[in-house]
Amino acid sequence: MPSNTASSSSAPAGSADSSASRTKSKRPKYSKFTQQELPACKPILTPGWVVLTFLVISVIFIPLGVVSLFASQDVVEIVDRYDNDCVPTPARANKVAYIQGVSDKSCNRTLVVPKKMKQPIYVYYQLENFYQNHRRYVKSRSDSQLRSVKDENQIDACKPEDDVNGRPIVPCGLIAWSLFNDTYALSKNNQPLTVNKRGIAWKSDREHKFGKNVFPKNFQEGNITGGGRLDANKSLSEQEDLIVWMRTAALPTFRKLYGKIESDLEKGDTIHVTLLNNYNTYSFDGKKKLVLSTTSWLGGKNDFLGIAYLTVGGICFFLALVFTIMYLVKPRRLGDPTYLSWNRVPGGGR
Amino acid sequence: MGFVSIGDFFFFLPPIFSSSFASSTRSLSFSFVSFSFFFFILMYTLASPSISQKDRPSKEKLYLRFDLWFTPFSQILSQMDKPPLHPHHESISSRWSSVSFKDNKEVTFSDLGSKRIRHGSAGADSEMLSMSQKEIKDEDARLIYINDPDRTNETFDFTGNSIKTAKYSVFTFLPRNLFEQFHRVAYVYFLVIAVLNQLPQLAVFGRGASIMPLAFVLLVSAIKDAYEDFRRHRSDRVENNRLALVFEDNEFKEKQWKYIRVGEVIKVVSNQTLPCDMVLLATSDPTGVVYVQTTNLDGESNLKTRYAKQETLQKATDDLETFDGFIKCEKPNRNIYGFQANMEIDGRRLSLGPSNIILRGCELKNTEWALGVVVYAGSETKAMLNNSGAPSKRSRLETRMNLEIILLSLFLIALCTTAAATAAVWLRTHRDDLDTILFYRRKDYSVRPEGKNHNYYGWGWEIFFTFFMAVIVYQIMIPISLYISMELVRIGQAYFMTRDDLMYDESSNSSFQCRALNINEDLGQIKYLFSDKTGTLTDNKMEFQCACIGGVDYSDREPPEITLKPKMRVRVDPSLLQLTRNGNATEEAKHANEFFLSLAACNTIVPIVTNTSDPNVKLVDYQGESPDEQALVYAAAAYGFLLIERTSGHIVINVRGEMQRFNVLGLHEFDSDRKRMSVILGCPDTSVKLFVKGADSSMFSVMDEESYGDVIEATKKQLHAYSSDGLRTLVVGMRKLNDTEFEQWHSSFEAASTALIEEANASVASDDDDESVALIIDGTSLIYVLDNDLEDVLFQVACKSSAVLCCRVAPFQKAGIVALVKNRTSDMTLAIGDGANDVSMIQMADVGVGISGQEGRQAVMASDFAMGQFRFLVPLLLVHGHWNYQRMGYMILYNFYRNAVFVLILFWYVLFTCYTLTTAITEWSSVLYSVVYTSFPTIVIGILDKNLGRRILLSHPQLYGVGQRAEGYSTTLFWYTMFDTVWQSAAIFFIPLFAYWGSTIDTSSLGDLWTIAAVVVVNLHLAMDVIRWNWIAHAAIWGSIVAACICVVVIDVIPTLPGYWAIFQVAKTWMFWFCLLAIVVTALLPRFAIKFLVEYYRPSDVRIAREVEKLRSFSESQQNMGTEMNQIRDPSRS
Repeated sequence: MPSNTASSSSAPAGSADSSASRTKSKRPKYSKFTQQELPACKPILTPGWVVLTFLVISVIFIPLGVVSLFASQDVVEIVDRYDNDCVPTPARANKVAYIQGVSDKSCNRTLVVPKKMKQPIYVYYQLENFYQNHRRYVKSRSDSQLRSVKDENQIDACKPEDDVNGRPIVPCGLIAWSLFNDTYALSKNNQPLTVNKRGIAWKSDREHKFGKNVFPKNFQEGNITGGGRLDANKSLSEQEDLIVWMRTAALPTFRKLYGKIESDLEKGDTIHVTLLNNYNTYSFDGKKKLVLSTTSWLGGKNDFLGIAYLTVGGICFFLALVFTIMYLVKPRRLGDPTYLSWNRVPGGGR
Repeated sequence: MGFVSIGDFFFFLPPIFSSSFASSTRSLSFSFVSFSFFFFILMYTLASPSISQKDRPSKEKLYLRFDLWFTPFSQILSQMDKPPLHPHHESISSRWSSVSFKDNKEVTFSDLGSKRIRHGSAGADSEMLSMSQKEIKDEDARLIYINDPDRTNETFDFTGNSIKTAKYSVFTFLPRNLFEQFHRVAYVYFLVIAVLNQLPQLAVFGRGASIMPLAFVLLVSAIKDAYEDFRRHRSDRVENNRLALVFEDNEFKEKQWKYIRVGEVIKVVSNQTLPCDMVLLATSDPTGVVYVQTTNLDGESNLKTRYAKQETLQKATDDLETFDGFIKCEKPNRNIYGFQANMEIDGRRLSLGPSNIILRGCELKNTEWALGVVVYAGSETKAMLNNSGAPSKRSRLETRMNLEIILLSLFLIALCTTAAATAAVWLRTHRDDLDTILFYRRKDYSVRPEGKNHNYYGWGWEIFFTFFMAVIVYQIMIPISLYISMELVRIGQAYFMTRDDLMYDESSNSSFQCRALNINEDLGQIKYLFSDKTGTLTDNKMEFQCACIGGVDYSDREPPEITLKPKMRVRVDPSLLQLTRNGNATEEAKHANEFFLSLAACNTIVPIVTNTSDPNVKLVDYQGESPDEQALVYAAAAYGFLLIERTSGHIVINVRGEMQRFNVLGLHEFDSDRKRMSVILGCPDTSVKLFVKGADSSMFSVMDEESYGDVIEATKKQLHAYSSDGLRTLVVGMRKLNDTEFEQWHSSFEAASTALIEEANASVASDDDDESVALIIDGTSLIYVLDNDLEDVLFQVACKSSAVLCCRVAPFQKAGIVALVKNRTSDMTLAIGDGANDVSMIQMADVGVGISGQEGRQAVMASDFAMGQFRFLVPLLLVHGHWNYQRMGYMILYNFYRNAVFVLILFWYVLFTCYTLTTAITEWSSVLYSVVYTSFPTIVIGILDKNLGRRILLSHPQLYGVGQRAEGYSTTLFWYTMFDTVWQSAAIFFIPLFAYWGSTIDTSSLGDLWTIAAVVVVNLHLAMDVIRWNWIAHAAIWGSIVAACICVVVIDVIPTLPGYWAIFQVAKTWMFWFCLLAIVVTALLPRFAIKFLVEYYRPSDVRIAREVEKLRSFSESQQNMGTEMNQIRDPSRS
C-alpha cells in the first residue's frame, strides 16, 4: 500500500508555514448538535393518538359547555330600550332637534323583576351602533394629560376638542367630550333604590392612569356640547363615570357600568326609573338601553360560549367515533411500504 | 464496473429516478434501466465494494494506465521526407504532421543554441479561445515603457498600486451604506410603508412603532458593515505600506507599495509577496526560471514555474539603467490564467504569455530574486479584479415563491379595496350626519363659527386615505420578515452542512464549503446531474500501474515488493525493470528505455531536492500542476530515470546513476483543449528527439497508421483492455528529428508564433460500460449537434436514455450541454467537477459543485458548494438537500400563513369599527408580532427540524423525489394553507367577538386576547408540524409564547398607553381563558383532522418512511421496500 501518496508530495516544499497549517486538522468538532443528532422525540399521528385526542377534547369541552350554559342561564337581566320611547310623540319626527333642544328630557320607565336577583346587581347603560372604536374617536385623547397636570398642554391628538381660545381643555379629545350623560334614578316600590356609583371603574385606572390632582378645565366650554359635564372640583381620579367612559368599548354594541345596587331584588318587584334622556344617539340611529343584571363567575348573560363549547365537544366526539370506525373498517399498517410512491406506480408489481 | 472510465463527462437523464438502485445489497445486479442521477450516485457508492473485489486496493487510488508507442515513431522518423508547410492547416497528409503536430503551435521552437523560447499554452477556459490571436489591437492594449514610469503614465494614466478594498470612508459611510442596504426590495417596501405612515393623514402607527423595525435591521447591518470595513481599512493600510525594492536612480530603493507605478522595475526576493502584476525580466536563475506559489490567488499550494524571456535576462541583470523597450499588453482583465503581450526590445519583438507574468499576491519561492516590470498595479491587478465574491444565484424555491408573493399582494390590494369601499359606503350614507355623530365630529368650530372640516378632505380623499392606511396596517401580508428569516435559516443550514462530519475529507483536510448562501434548498430539487468524469470520480490520485511498450504488455498485477528512494512508491514490474537495465541491448530494451526517458522528460514537473536528517540522503520531491505527470515522473524514477533538475533550457536526468543533460529545444505544455504535450530535446548523443504525450485519441490521429498498423492495433487492443479495467490511459510517442526537419519546423514556428488560432478539440480516453443503455456522444459529434439545430433531437434521445456520456468534449461544450438541458426543462441541474475545464459548466448549471481535488482550485472558486470528495454528493443531496428543501418549503408556507392570519384578524375587526382602520391590537404588538412573537421558532425549525433521519434518507434515495416533484412547496399547498388561514383567523376573531358582544369589554383587553390567541395558535400550528422535538424546538416554541405574553404585559404596564393594565384586568376573568381554549381548539381542529386523514389514508413517502423510522422495524421494512423495488418502472415512461 503506498503510504506517501500524492497528497503529501503535492505539498509545497520550502514553505514551512503552510505545511504547518496543513497539519492542523480542519475536521469539524463532533457534537450531537453539529451533526443534527440531538436526542429528540418524534411524535407521529397514529389513529390511537388522534382518537384519544378527540375524546379528551370532547370530555373536557362538553362539561365546560354545560357549565358555561348554566352560568349564563343563572344570570338575571332586565333590558329596557328607552331611546325611542323617551322622545315625546310629537318630537319623534325630528329626534335630533329634540335632543339638541332645551325642553325637559326626563322620562319615566317601569321595570318588573322577572326572577329573584341577588346583589350585587349591576346597572349598565347599553349603547348600540355607537362606534367607540372609530379611528377618529379612539385617537382623540391625551393619556399623559389625564395623568399629570404638567402635561396638560399635550393636546395635539385631541383636535377638534383640544382647546378653548388657546386654553387647553382637560380632559381633551372627542372621547371625553362625548361623555355619556343620561342619568337614572331608581326606586323600588316607591322607595328610592340606592345606586352605588363608587368603584365602578378599574382600580388601576383610578390610581395610576387618572391623576389625583388633575382637575377638569375648560371642559364643555366650546361651541358645541357633546355630552356630560364634569364637576370641576373633583379630580379626574374621582370622576368614575369619565374613567369608565374613557375605557373605550371594543365593539359597537357595548355596555358600560353605571352603578351597583347592593341589595337583592325579589321576583315581581317593580322598579321605577326616572331618567334624563340627554344623550344624543339619534343622529346615527344609536340605541340606548338600561340594563340591570346580575353576573355569574363567567360574566354576563351570553349563551354563545356554552354553545360553542358544546358544539366543538360534540364535533370532536363525532370525529373520534368516525375515525374509530374508519380505523376498524379500513386500517392501514403503519410503515406499509406498498404505499410508497415507487411501489404504487401502475404497471409495476409482479 | 469500470464506471470510472466511462467518459470524460456525462450527464444523466431523464429526471424521474427509479428504484433499481436503492438497495445496497444489489450492487452487482443492477442494470441500466433506471433513469436518474440517483442511479449514478448509488452506483458510485455501490461501486466501491465492487472495485475492491476487482483487486483494487482502495477506492481512493487511481489506476494510471500507460501505453507506449515507441517503435513506430522512430521508424516513422526515418521514413519521413516532407516537412509541414502550413502551420494552421488541419491537414495531416504529410508524414511529418502525422507524427506529432497537428499544427505548429504545439511546440515552440528555439535553435540549438542558448536561446530558448517557451510558449505556454493558454488556459482551458473557453473564454481563452477568443484570446488566441496574438496580435493585440492598439485600442485594446496598454503600452508600458520598461523602466520609464513617467513616459508610461504620460499618456495613459494607469492606476497606482495603492489598493482600496474598503468600501466606505467616514463621510461616505452613511449614505453609501444605506444606499447599498436599500438594494433589497424588502427594505424599500419597509421604507415606503414607513414613509407613508409619516404623512399625517395616514399616520396609523406612531412614529416609533413604524420606524423601529426597519431602523433596527438597518442599524444592525450598518454596524456589521462598519466593523468589517474598519478591518478592511486596517488591512489596506498595512498592505499599502509594505515595502518593495524599486529601481530608481540607478539603484534599488525601498518604496512603499502604494507608490509603485506601472512601468517601474521591481526586484522581489525569495519568500516575498509580489506587490503587483509584473512581466519577468530577469531572475537569479541563469535560465530565467522563477517559482511562485499562488495560494493567495487560487488556493493551489504547489509551486508554479514562470520564466523570464531569454532575451531580457542578461541586459536586465547587468545594465538595467539603459534597458530600453516597451511592452504592449492587453487591458486589465480577471483571467489569472491568461496573459497576452508583446515585448519590443532593441527592435526585436517577443511574444509574452501567461508563463512570463507573475501576479500580485503570489509568493516567490526557491528563487533568490526576480526582476520584473510592473504592467498592472493596484486595483487593476488580476488578484484584485478577482476579488469579487461568488456569483449570487437565486434559488428555485425563492423564484417560485415570488408567484405567491404576487398572489399575496393581490390579497392585500383586495383587503385594502374592501376596507376603502365599505368606508366609502358608510361615509356616503352618513354624509349629512358627519357633523353631529359623536364619534366622528367632522367640523371644528373653534376655528370659525360655521366650522371647518377637521381632518376631513372630502369623500374621495377619505377613500384614498383609507386605502393607504389599510396598506400600512396590513403591510405584513407581504412577509418581508420572511426574506430576513430565509437568510438566517440559510446561514444556519450552511453551518450544519459545513460542520457535517460525513462531508469532511480526511485526505485533503477540507470540510464542506458553502460558497453561495442563497441556494441551499436547490440541493433538494436536482433532477439532472452533470459530472466531470476523469478527475472527479477518480480523486486524481494517480499511480503508475502498467505499460504497453511497442505493443508488448508489461502489466504485472502482483503486489509490489520493491521500494524506491523517491517520495512516492511505485509498483514496479520486475521484468520491465530488468529490461531497462539491459540498456540498449535489444530492440525491446531500447524501446523501454526511450519510454521511461520520455516519461521523465516530457512533462513540466519541477524536481525539488530537499535535505533529510541523513546528510547522505536527499529527497527528491516532484512539484507540478498535474498529478498525472507527477505519477509518471515517479514511475520513471522507479525504473531508474530520476529527474534531477529542470530549467527552461535543460533537463538533467539521472539514468541509472549516470547524469545526463538534455537541452530543451522546444516545449509545449499540456492543455485540456489539445490533450497533448510535446517536447523537443537535444540529447547528449547530439540527436534531436521529439517526445509527445497525450490522450489516445489525440495521439492516434497523428500517427502513421500505414507503417505501424500492427503495433498500433496491438496497442489499441491493450489500451482497450486497460480501459476496461478502469485505468486511465495515456499514450506517449517519440521520434527523432534530423536537422532539415528541425530547420523547417523552426521556420514554421516563427510564422505560427505571430498569429495563432486556437482550435478546440478535446478528448480523453474513454470507454463505456457494456451493460449500460447509455447514449454516448463524443466531442466532435457534439460540435455538429450543437451547431446544427439538432439540440432538440439530442435532448429527446438523451431523455430516453438512462445516462448520457459525452466524451472528448471541450469545456465550452460541457457548458453547452448543461445549457441544452437547462433551456429545455424547468428542472434543476447540478454540475460537479474538479478541474479548470469544468468551470464553465459549473457556472452554467443551477447548482455548481466543485471538488477540491488535486487538479487545483479553479473549479472550487467557480462553484456554489465545494467539498473534498465526489462521494460527498450523496449526503449533500440526499440528506442535506432533502432537509433544506423541506425546511425551506415549509418555512415559506408557514410565514405566509402566520402573517396572513394576523392581517385577517386585523381585517375582520375593521368590519366592526365603522370601516376605519382601528386596531384593537396595540401598534407595538402589531410591529413585534412578526419580529418577536412568532419569528424565532420558524427560524429554529427551519434550521433544525428533520423530517427524516440521515440513515433512512441514505438507504432510500427515492425519498429525494419529494424535492424533485416539488412536494414541499407548491401552489396547491399555498391555497390549502390560505384556506386554513382564513378559518383560523376567523376562529381567533369571532369567538371572542360573539362571547363579548354587548359586554363591557374594552378595546385594549380584547386586543390583548386576540394578540395572545393569535400567538398561541400560530405557534401551536407550528408545533403540530414539528417532526423532531429536541430541547431547542421546545425552547423556541414555548419560549416564543412566553416572550409574547411578557411583551404584552410590558406594553400594558405603561400608564400613558390607553391599554394600561388591561391584560391583568382581562386575564383574571374566566371568560378570557375560556375564549382562549375555545379559540385554540377550534382554530386547529380542521387542520389536525385533515392532517391526520391525509397522512393516514394518503400517506406521502416521507410519512411512510417516518413511520418506518418510528416503529424501528427498520431492517425488516427495508427488505420489504427493497423486494418491491426492482419491478418498478419510471412512471413517466410506463
